[in-house]
Amino acid sequence: MRKYWRAYQISIQETLQRRSSLLMDRVGGLAVMLSLYYFWKTLLSGRPSFLGYSYSQMLTYIFGMNILRSFALTGRGWELVGEISSGKISSYLVRPLNYHGYALSLDLSKKTIHLFAALIEVGALLMLFHPPFYLPQSALSGLAFLAALVLASLLFFFLEFLVSSLAFWTSESGGPLFFFELCVQFAAGAFFPLDVLPRLIQKGLSFSPFPYLVFLPINIYLGRVGEGQMLRDLLMAGLWTAVFAAISLVVWRKGLASYSAEGG
Amino acid sequence: MSAIEVELLAKEYQVFERKPGLWGSIVSVFWREWKSVRAVDSISFRIEEGELVGFLGANGAGKTTTLKMLSGLLSPSSGSVQVLGFHPWKREREFQRQISLVMGQRTQLWWEIPAQETFRLNQAIYGLSEKEYRQSLDELVEMLNLKDCLSVPVKKLSLGQRMRAELAAALLHRPKILLLDEPTLGLDVVMQKKVREFILDYNRKWKASILLTSHNMDDLAALCPRVLMLEKGKIIYDGSLEQLVRRYAENKVIRMVFGERVSPDKIAAFGADIDSLGTSALISVPRSEVSRKAALFLSSFPIVDMTIEEASVDEIVRTIFSRA
Amino acid sequence: MKKYLRVWWKMSSMSLMAQISHPLGSVGFLLGKIVRIAFFFAFIIAIFGHIKNLAGYSLSETALFFLTFNIVDISAQILFRGIYSARRAVSEGDFDFYLIQPCSALFRLSMTTFDFLDAITLLPVLVMTGQILERFSSPGFFVHCLLYFFLTFNAVLIASSFHILVAGLAVRTQELENTIWIYRDIMFMGRFPSDVYGPLFQLFLTFVLPIAVMTSFPVRAFLGLLSPQWIAYAFTLAGLLFGLSLWFWKTSVRQYTSSSS
Repeated sequence: MRKYWRAYQISIQETLQRRSSLLMDRVGGLAVMLSLYYFWKTLLSGRPSFLGYSYSQMLTYIFGMNILRSFALTGRGWELVGEISSGKISSYLVRPLNYHGYALSLDLSKKTIHLFAALIEVGALLMLFHPPFYLPQSALSGLAFLAALVLASLLFFFLEFLVSSLAFWTSESGGPLFFFELCVQFAAGAFFPLDVLPRLIQKGLSFSPFPYLVFLPINIYLGRVGEGQMLRDLLMAGLWTAVFAAISLVVWRKGLASYSAEGG
Repeated sequence: MSAIEVELLAKEYQVFERKPGLWGSIVSVFWREWKSVRAVDSISFRIEEGELVGFLGANGAGKTTTLKMLSGLLSPSSGSVQVLGFHPWKREREFQRQISLVMGQRTQLWWEIPAQETFRLNQAIYGLSEKEYRQSLDELVEMLNLKDCLSVPVKKLSLGQRMRAELAAALLHRPKILLLDEPTLGLDVVMQKKVREFILDYNRKWKASILLTSHNMDDLAALCPRVLMLEKGKIIYDGSLEQLVRRYAENKVIRMVFGERVSPDKIAAFGADIDSLGTSALISVPRSEVSRKAALFLSSFPIVDMTIEEASVDEIVRTIFSRA
Repeated sequence: MKKYLRVWWKMSSMSLMAQISHPLGSVGFLLGKIVRIAFFFAFIIAIFGHIKNLAGYSLSETALFFLTFNIVDISAQILFRGIYSARRAVSEGDFDFYLIQPCSALFRLSMTTFDFLDAITLLPVLVMTGQILERFSSPGFFVHCLLYFFLTFNAVLIASSFHILVAGLAVRTQELENTIWIYRDIMFMGRFPSDVYGPLFQLFLTFVLPIAVMTSFPVRAFLGLLSPQWIAYAFTLAGLLFGLSLWFWKTSVRQYTSSSS
């Protein structure tokens, strides 16, 4: 356990060291948040609600989105693709280290820093514009939100790990990861609440793991989900996480096997 | 006019110092401390047309920095540098058409596709006519034995093949000045020899001035009648390699073969290295003590054969560097 | 000029060859780009299923804003694809070769990887834009179309300036690997008509980060909602920015050649 804790610490230092890259990531997220904030503000001006979202709920959705993007949808996919295609990955494999555990520690360190940054950004925006901010109506929905947040991070970790592992076969390209990242952002509700979409697409998405990443956690926070449904959602999120953890482990092993067969 | 004229050339950099630990990295997000480093310190030399000159020096002695200033990649902090009458740092097109720089650990070849595509690109960049290109390429393919490598993606070539293709890409436009930074880095002995032979051929054939840096003493011994030795940004030697060796070779090596096993402890007491079988040993001794020591060994050990040799170039250079 | 065309043609065909060598990856990128456009289109259409107008614009007008954003965005990517790997080109030494060879280093750096995938995505966007433009046949239609064309071109020039600035930064600092992504992310705001952003922020987007000039001005001019003064401002701004970016590039290269090790 100690080595993973150490990896976490070192990675925090490294992330801070690359200050420009950190700054860029944050400015990017901020631009998306600001632009959607204004978009919904304009759209909701003169309307009491839109699709059942009150003004304060919709703006809170945007803020929550920034936090979930930073914590749940942040990962090391591109680094992993790079390590696989450059062959650097083999240097980890000879060490007495579980690579998934190691990658999770590094992921967590990145998530930690981005979470702090996102909280500061949202705080600054709240101070600057004084928008109405929606607070959870019960301790239960607050707690359930935290649980959903943790599950979302784990689910994303395994999903991203799975897609990045494809680099073992796609001969050194991040194409699949690029496609995945874009799809995830839309399908998870990291640009807009999924209720906006036509019913059919919504229905389709509800059979996928994506809404559990952003859309459902925020809806739990906003108290738009009944207690029974909340429990079912959390269970489903856990189930998806377990399924993708298993798949990603299997694919990882197969990838390694094909990797060493080719001799790197 | 000489091909290369360098007068009191100097180069200084700013580098920032990294502080250790978590707190240090948080601090360096906002604040960095800079210090200046003198990489090249007032050097002067001339190189004539058709001359082959080697640069010698430890890591960080200023070899690469000097090459970069000669190619126009770096501008000097002070002093003057002229190559073929041009100031390299102005990077005039006419100048660029006459030089080439090859860096052993870097490649201009496109990784995913065959090398001949990069050659074609260079044809367009250097504005070579189809006839010039064909002629030059055929020659290089012949000299470098590249026939089978032309249409294979570069990533599938061996290191030696890649280096030869790299040289071909750099020489298509027949530069008059060729700057080589570690051209044999990572190559096996056979391939090193081939690359050396090619460099010599090119030099003779086109009267090109060639400047090369290398950690490999065999390169310099085989190629360069003249070497420049750099230490901490200054030239500390300019002349032939043999003379350098003679000047710095304070020690000779005595090699002994014993008729029977000798106890390692006994021979170690004399400061010599013995092999694992205990049947031979060598020792490095100052020139002035060679005869005295040789006599001492002969009387103390059952020696059947003894030779006294000059230290190898590698060894000498290592002692010079370790002194620095 | 002819030489540059030949170099460009050679580099483009080489990067096409390189891309074809891993088809699966390329398909991923192509699908990603198409999905992004499709999803936002679906979003805009879905929104208009619930409302009649957005900041006073109808569905086709809003779509036109979105399409214009895409034209500018994709064109800049086609022209400056290489900037995305500028930092790598600098740190791995490719840039050193660009500098010592007799061909503009900026040209080499930006055009070195022509992305035919971008060219493929641009086509349907252009076709759709043409179809929507056609719907607005008003008296001054021809003049409005010309204005739209020139202002869009002007926007590409502004986008080019930003890319050149980023290239300068990459050469200067050898560290700002993500600067171009800042640009991309900030450009995110260009997807919606700038009127959405409220008067104060809109001023910011007109004068400080001229995204409004790039993505909203062409459409507003087409709809006859832009005064000649603003049109003059747009052209002046682009000229100034372009000049500034070239100057910055030059000083960056000068700094690079006086400081790298």
